Amino acid sequence: MAFDLDALDSLGSEAIDEILNSWAGFCACTDAIIRGNGDLSAGSKLAPLVASLCKHGLRSLVEDHFLQALEETFKTNAVMMFWQHFEAFHNSSPSEMPNVHIIEDWPQTVLIKALEEICLEKCYQEKCLLILVHSFQSYEENLSLETGDLNLCESNLMSRYQLMVSAVLLATLPSYFPEILRMYFKKKLEELSTVIAGVSDDVCESQNEMDIDDNYSKKNISKDHKLVKDIGKVVRDLRSLGFMSMSEDAYASAIFVLLKSQVNDLAGDEYRNPVLESIKEWIQAVPLQFLHALQSYLGDSVDYDNGSSGLKSPLASLVSSFPGVNMPSELLVRWKLRLEYFAYETLQDLRIGKLFEIIVDYPDSSPAIEDLKQCLEYTGQHSKLVDSFISSLRYRLLTAGASTNDILHQYVSTIKALRTIDPTGVFLETVGEPIRDYLKGRKDTIKCIVTMLTDGNPSGSGNSGDSLLEELNRDVENQEGADNDDNINSDDKQAWINAECWEPDPAEVDPTKGSNNRRKIDILAMIVSLIGSKDQLVNEYRVMLAEKLLNKLDYDFDSEIRTLELLKIHFGESSMQKCEIMLNDLIDSKRTNANIKASIPQTSQTEQGENDVSLNLLDATIISTNFWPPIQAESVNIPTSIDQLLSDYAKRFHDIKTPRKLLWKKNLGAVKLELQFEDQNMQFTVAPIHAVIIMKFQDQTSWTSKNLAAAIGIPVEALNRRISFWVGKGILAESVGTASNDHVFTIADGMIDANRNGITNGNSEELSMADEEGENSVASAEEQLQKEMTIYEKFIIGMLTNFGSMALDRIHNTLKMFCVAEPAYDKSLQQLQSFLSGLVSEEKLEMKDGLYFLKK
Amino acid sequence: MKVKILQWHAVASWTWDAQDETCGICRMAFDGCCPDCKFPGDDCPLIWGACNHSFHLHCILKWVNSQTPQPHCPMCRREWQFKG
Repeated sequence: MAFDLDALDSLGSEAIDEILNSWAGFCACTDAIIRGNGDLSAGSKLAPLVASLCKHGLRSLVEDHFLQALEETFKTNAVMMFWQHFEAFHNSSPSEMPNVHIIEDWPQTVLIKALEEICLEKCYQEKCLLILVHSFQSYEENLSLETGDLNLCESNLMSRYQLMVSAVLLATLPSYFPEILRMYFKKKLEELSTVIAGVSDDVCESQNEMDIDDNYSKKNISKDHKLVKDIGKVVRDLRSLGFMSMSEDAYASAIFVLLKSQVNDLAGDEYRNPVLESIKEWIQAVPLQFLHALQSYLGDSVDYDNGSSGLKSPLASLVSSFPGVNMPSELLVRWKLRLEYFAYETLQDLRIGKLFEIIVDYPDSSPAIEDLKQCLEYTGQHSKLVDSFISSLRYRLLTAGASTNDILHQYVSTIKALRTIDPTGVFLETVGEPIRDYLKGRKDTIKCIVTMLTDGNPSGSGNSGDSLLEELNRDVENQEGADNDDNINSDDKQAWINAECWEPDPAEVDPTKGSNNRRKIDILAMIVSLIGSKDQLVNEYRVMLAEKLLNKLDYDFDSEIRTLELLKIHFGESSMQKCEIMLNDLIDSKRTNANIKASIPQTSQTEQGENDVSLNLLDATIISTNFWPPIQAESVNIPTSIDQLLSDYAKRFHDIKTPRKLLWKKNLGAVKLELQFEDQNMQFTVAPIHAVIIMKFQDQTSWTSKNLAAAIGIPVEALNRRISFWVGKGILAESVGTASNDHVFTIADGMIDANRNGITNGNSEELSMADEEGENSVASAEEQLQKEMTIYEKFIIGMLTNFGSMALDRIHNTLKMFCVAEPAYDKSLQQLQSFLSGLVSEEKLEMKDGLYFLKK
Repeated sequence: MKVKILQWHAVASWTWDAQDETCGICRMAFDGCCPDCKFPGDDCPLIWGACNHSFHLHCILKWVNSQTPQPHCPMCRREWQFKG
């Protein structure tokens, strides 16, 4: 404050006396008013004193002194007491949490009481201040100044006072106070939420009878509700103390906590129902109703204040300055957006955290996916999804313990689910990458994919929704639809339509990757791209198809034909040519078989002995060897009766189809036979080799493995492998023979009846003939490759002898350059690599720093 | 114990009862088919000439039709005659 020294000089001693007297009087009077405990009678004396001081230009001094006096009193009286109320809470909260729960009830009672007290004090002080204002007023009226100034002075003083109050409170604010507020609001809101839930239930029930406006009845309840009144009062008190932002923080956080727990309750581990709508409804029903009620309650109270004294806090004025009607709605809209965003985010985080599980039961959990999609549209936090999902994939799926089948199923589900969330496929690309990389490193990936492609209804694990066959089907339907379109539209028109549909790539796209292959999310294409090339897939399919067809007992291959047709549409006719020939062989065989059967003279059954088998029992699959995958031929001595039949059949074939003749693959096929014991009969469907083995036991009940192998004409190891089938069924018993490595097999007649009974019950079951490893009648694609590559082994060895050491791609290029004659070198780099690593493991080669050289 | 065979489904491969492995014209295997055919066997049969040389029917027909006035066997240059 600047002192006007000249003015001080000009004062006479009279004036100085007057000033001193007035000042002393003013100080005494101020004391009396402020500490007067409600006695405002001294107020009347204040006016003349103030007037005289003002006359000498000491108005600012008066104001300062008065406010300071107010501050002192407020600090000593009200604030100390106010905080004392909460000390109990403070003492108990950090160490003994249980205590807090016991006394959880007290914040509301204590808080209300404390707030009431301090507000009373404040109200009183405001009245004191008003007296001062009135003194100024009367002084200024005497000087006939403009009244406009007066209001200014009043609001000026009031705002200074309000500022002072807030400053004092905030300066002494204990750190636990916000926590108390939060607890209070949380509790109140929970009560309110249960009340409202009850009400809306009632409303729902009564809606059948009367058409009640939902909103109206709810609003009615919550506006006049005691709870709302309580809360409203607390909020108003807090506001008047300058805790506006703190109180808002507190109830906002309470609402959010409540919302979060609500979302968790509703969503939880439930993926089969959409929850977003019910969450939205809940937001509408509970927090927004509460806020609405609160706003309308506070709005009323502010109006009331305005009317009576014109007193209002500068902070509260922010709210009340909104015109009555618009205020709540605008605030509410803002609140609604905030709450919904929060709900979206919470739900999204919840779903993203559980995305792996959700995708595991994908077709059932599609509601959860839909919810997630909506959430992500709102929040745009796709990257969060990608990161979290990839990490859970790495942790849970892409491990050595997971079977390739499971990984593939999960991959397909992931593709389907993410296709819903993000039709552009950008995120799928990122998410799929680790899976793809991992699957490429697995050996049986191709096999699993082909199985998935061909098995329409896998009887075992996995639901049919995952089957790729279905995808094939759908793809075909789509293509047919597209074909029709093409017929109608000219190219120009199509181009125009495409151009109109063009959309820029989403912002998240990695610009280093091209955008061409992103357009269409084709599950099949994505799966096939795993394998690397179509040819590999077709080859694998061919092997599996051969395996299946050769083990058939009858000529039932409709499902194979259907699958092949679908595959032809997808992969092109030319690449499926060989498979088509294979199926055609089957069709021809069926016809030929019928023709041959017709050529048999119908001899009467009695002519044949019991043991003989007529030609009627013999069916044959006649294949065009060149078009089938290499077939593992094993020589086996078929019993003469059967051998007779076979040559008879071949002769008849030769008669019908001259000049073609048959070459039997005696180890292939399927035999249905019945074992006749004294007490029971058993039926089996087995491979011919099994049949041959068991037939040997008709004449001789016990065989040593050496003799039996010699009789059948197969190696002992092969015999031991095959005979274990019958041992496993309990038909044959194995015992150690005279020689150490010789086994004796005997018919287990009546020995393990119980065991056999178990089988008899299930004798209708089809026994798979190729379930044991290494028993496949068709060489697998891998073995084929190995066989083909051995031709080049000499070349490679020769090369390495000349050059010392060579890198992989150099070997590859050299082979390509020089092996042009039959058979030309047409293998890929990967195939060569796997072959070379095979040679390394056979210790023919060594590999170091990417260079191969001969083992010394 | 007795074993009664109820059904025996055997597998066999067919082959042309010819002296040669491949067709002298298209160099494809007899058990395969000529370049114009899709399916081997009945759809793409073999034919024998009087000289006992055999070819895919389609191959030799093309050859015979292109040779005027008198076709010869591509292998032995003898006059081509279909074996009765």
